[in-house]
Amino acid sequence: MPRHREEDDDGDEDYDGLELEEEEEEDEGGSRGGGGSRQKRGRSSFFDDYAEEDSQEEEDDEDDEDYGSRRGGKGAKRKKFSAARFVDDIADQVDDDDEEEDDGDGEDGFIVDNGTDLPDERVDRRRYHDRRGFDENDDEDVDDLERRIQERFYRPQEDYDEEATDVEQQALLPSVRDPKLWMVKCAIGREREVAVCLMQKYIDRGSDLQIRSVVALDHLKNFIYVEADKEAHVKEAIKGMRNIYANQKILLVPIREMTDVLSVESKAIDLSRDTWVRMKIGTYKGDLAKVVDVDNVRQRVTVKLIPRIDLQALASKLDGREVAKKKAFVPPPRFMNIDEARELHIRVERRRDPMTGDYFENIGGMLFKDGFMYKTVSLKSIIAQNVTPTFDELEKFNKPSESGESDFGGLSTLFANRKKGHFMKGDAVIVIKGDLKNLKGWVEKVDEETVLIRSGLKGLPDPLAVNEKELCKYFEPGNHVKVVSGTHEGATGMVVKVDQHVLILLSDTTKEHVRVFADHVVESSEVTTGVTKIGQFELHDLVLLDNLSFGVTIRLENEAFQVLKGNPDRPEVALVKLREIKCKLDRKISVQDRYKNVITVGDDARIIEGPSKGKQGPVRHIYKGVLFIYDRHHLEHAGFICAKCTSCVVVGGSRSGANRNGGDSLSRFSNFKAPAPVPPSPRRFQRGGGGMGYNARGRGRGGRGGRDDSLLGTTVKIRLGPFKGYRGPVVEVKGDSVRVELEMKIVTVDRNAISDNVAVTTPSRDTSRYSMGSETPMHPSRTPLHPYMTPMRDSGATPIHDGMRTPMRDRAWNPYTPMSPPRDNWEEGNPGSWGTSPNYQPGSPPSRAYEAPTPGSGWASTPGGSYSDAGTPRDSGSAYANAPSPYLPSTPGQPMTPSSASYLPGTPGGQPMTPGTGLDVMSPVIGGDAEAWFMPDILVEIHKAGEDSDVGVIRDVSDGTCKVSLGSSGEGDTIMALPSELEIVPPRKNDRVKIVGGQYRGSIGKLIGIDGSDGIVKIEDNLDVKILDLAILAKFVQP
Amino acid sequence: MGSAPAQIPTSFGHELRACLRCRLVKTYDQFRDAGCENCPFFKMEEDHERIVEVTTPNFNGIISVMDPSRSWAARWLRIGKFAPGCYTLAVSEPLTEEMQHICQEERVQYVPPKRM
Repeated sequence: MPRHREEDDDGDEDYDGLELEEEEEEDEGGSRGGGGSRQKRGRSSFFDDYAEEDSQEEEDDEDDEDYGSRRGGKGAKRKKFSAARFVDDIADQVDDDDEEEDDGDGEDGFIVDNGTDLPDERVDRRRYHDRRGFDENDDEDVDDLERRIQERFYRPQEDYDEEATDVEQQALLPSVRDPKLWMVKCAIGREREVAVCLMQKYIDRGSDLQIRSVVALDHLKNFIYVEADKEAHVKEAIKGMRNIYANQKILLVPIREMTDVLSVESKAIDLSRDTWVRMKIGTYKGDLAKVVDVDNVRQRVTVKLIPRIDLQALASKLDGREVAKKKAFVPPPRFMNIDEARELHIRVERRRDPMTGDYFENIGGMLFKDGFMYKTVSLKSIIAQNVTPTFDELEKFNKPSESGESDFGGLSTLFANRKKGHFMKGDAVIVIKGDLKNLKGWVEKVDEETVLIRSGLKGLPDPLAVNEKELCKYFEPGNHVKVVSGTHEGATGMVVKVDQHVLILLSDTTKEHVRVFADHVVESSEVTTGVTKIGQFELHDLVLLDNLSFGVTIRLENEAFQVLKGNPDRPEVALVKLREIKCKLDRKISVQDRYKNVITVGDDARIIEGPSKGKQGPVRHIYKGVLFIYDRHHLEHAGFICAKCTSCVVVGGSRSGANRNGGDSLSRFSNFKAPAPVPPSPRRFQRGGGGMGYNARGRGRGGRGGRDDSLLGTTVKIRLGPFKGYRGPVVEVKGDSVRVELEMKIVTVDRNAISDNVAVTTPSRDTSRYSMGSETPMHPSRTPLHPYMTPMRDSGATPIHDGMRTPMRDRAWNPYTPMSPPRDNWEEGNPGSWGTSPNYQPGSPPSRAYEAPTPGSGWASTPGGSYSDAGTPRDSGSAYANAPSPYLPSTPGQPMTPSSASYLPGTPGGQPMTPGTGLDVMSPVIGGDAEAWFMPDILVEIHKAGEDSDVGVIRDVSDGTCKVSLGSSGEGDTIMALPSELEIVPPRKNDRVKIVGGQYRGSIGKLIGIDGSDGIVKIEDNLDVKILDLAILAKFVQP
Repeated sequence: MGSAPAQIPTSFGHELRACLRCRLVKTYDQFRDAGCENCPFFKMEEDHERIVEVTTPNFNGIISVMDPSRSWAARWLRIGKFAPGCYTLAVSEPLTEEMQHICQEERVQYVPPKRM
């Protein structure tokens, strides 16, 4: 309506005087009425609308277009006002696409619509206003008038002065009278498009469309929301829309969920120069980059980062030669060396950037400067939030620039990442910038970005206002702190050195130095072990890496491990991401040391050559001939030293090798000879514990840690088959078969063919109260006991458990002692060891309890009792019968043989038992038993490693070694064999037997019958008939 | 019908920007040619540098408001008194202080976005 307007403009001045008068009166009325209702604003939308109308009236006056509709007499015309306005606006909308007036129009529309809703009240009110306006008009003087006009003109165009407080927002909550939100399915990825198209449709079709709004959420794919009163309106609106499928179900959003639909987080991205970002995709994924320029219009950002460029590949590519399409590996980040590139005949152009005036080296379209690569990428391809560069990254970034300036640039962005409430009252702080640099003080008050600090220095105002950005938290050596953000988050430690904003901590977990930003720590007395596990990998595991190298994890970082590589020549530490770790290696491998002694995991080894010469400690891992030795005096690499096995010697003899120079049973105590590894903490030890315990069994069968070892070490009785009635400890479990070491022979029987209740017949066992316990109907009590047995055996390598064993047994045998309370105690005893056992974590949490030292309690309670009872290997075997494997077949990993737990040496753990006393207790029994076992003139089976088993006859026994003549009657060659390589050949009925144990040891007799596990023997000397355990009967061969 | 609608975005991609004050969403070119319908005092059409200053590409969600006065959603989002058009649910950054000052001078309300 351009013509119309022109006319108005012309007439504007003419009518001005009159207009002003009119305005005046209206203003009076309007402002009063408006004022009154404005106070009520927010409480009711109804009143809101009023205020709107009132103020709008004033605005109408200014509005030239409205002038015409207003000229007539007031009373009558007012009533028509709304309708007239309405028409006018439509005209405006149609004719005039110029947005100049839209602002006002928006307001008008609001009023008019409400006006049509509530015509009656409106009129009434207006009349009232009009009257008042008339009344007061006479009293106005010109100055006042002018002032009012002025005021009016400065009145905010929109009545938007309501504070958006939460309370008022509450008043806007949807009610049943409000339009509803309907959820409509649309083509995926077209949500915004649909919303915009519906808007366009609405404009084109006018008010045919009765929808109020359409919402497309960024985070909700496949759906849009349409606001309308009725579902039919929605259907009408979406009819014919290309991206909305016909006949889609339209879902109503419940009224209380409507606000949720509209509650979106505003993703704040503050990208400015020097902001640290990370690349999201491509070769540089995860790499740190620094923003150098932001193009907000084109949504692109220029970053500098350390290039990952394979110059060779680049050279051949630029030469036009074929390059392997997809390289598996990403070149490591390295600063671009232009000279190097030139040497490879890569064309390097030096160009000046027209915008900044800086020179860049251009190689194949890539820009480099000072070794950095400058890359312009989409804003979407970088992560800008919560980017906290690590130390290493920052160091790398700062390398090429010599000045400390850039360092500070980086720091300030670090500070930009500070959370609110970073400084708190009482914090010790130091000024790091400006005139007051190095001033120390305490935070007195924090006011937004300004921190008031109290310096305590004379001559300075107290408190002193400092910008937060110029402050850094201050710590002193000796403070105990906790890291609250960054890669080392969660770690605690003591500050050992302070270098400006950088602290060096001695971590409580790793006892290593950790560098952190002062900003990232808070003072805390808390001591945490920190995280020791990522995924399936744990600290100090031996892991296989992607490139087939291997190493021990020595430190944890965010999603990454520091790995000490298996490089014996020099310590090599690599930071390895979780995904770069292929698997954990926990094979039990034995290797030979320099003198061909066998080293297994858990043995003590000393390094006798190479860079780590002289170091000594338990072997933690063995792989490919490389030993990882733990020396707790070694401060680097978490105490791990990597050495070739040939550069080491076993200290004190290998435990697995002990069987060479001792009897079978003796080998069980070989731990006395080989100083048991001293675990710095029980949890680390447990990893190897399984294998160790087993190896310590010393029968050369180590290294086959079976899946289901719950039976291992338990003494079983064979129920079925040819060995029915035989008893013995289980030495190996494989599938459905178990290998049982009978007193004479190791046989393979079906697992179902064994029972765990061993009736003990030998005198010594008869006295064993354990066996009695095992026969009392206390099965229920045994079951809970079992979990304890497992860790105990496993960690039997640690001396503590010897102590543990005794009270536990007492408990086990005493049916009246409840199991649970002690367990709790144990658990509480050492919370630090929680969650540290890799083997037992899933299945038997109580295992941790085992590490809890119950100092001396159980130990002291039955020093002699249980120990002498446990004196014979058999007894300890029978003791284990109480770990009723059939009841708990699922217990994971019980890699222990009966005895190994029992006879561990006193290590610095403070075990009151010394090796000597331990031996004293046992030796008589052992002696008897040992002699009983290998006596001359009995038929044995010889199992030499790597050879087929053979039968032979023991001819002589000396010093624990047997002289055996091969052949079933001893006619063959004579060899020397260790008792551990020998097994008794069980006699058959009517065989002549030699009794190798018990009070009739040494006697010869005839086996006249077999009754279960007992043999009926007619002793030749006195023709007495005795019922003896089959296990102590050996086939006699006449010399 | 209350008022003339604002320009409707001519594309749906990343060329879109949102006015930091009223949250109107249009393309950069539209802001350049016609300014912001709700905030003419920014005079974006005259000073193109200002477009970058008072609009942002970082916004979250789009709401097309057909009938601002009667739309609950518009009222809830406090855009009920603006021209019909496409708005965003939330912008991520506040106006610069200078621009906030302009708002004050013009006596228009400005509510900075709540930072999450």
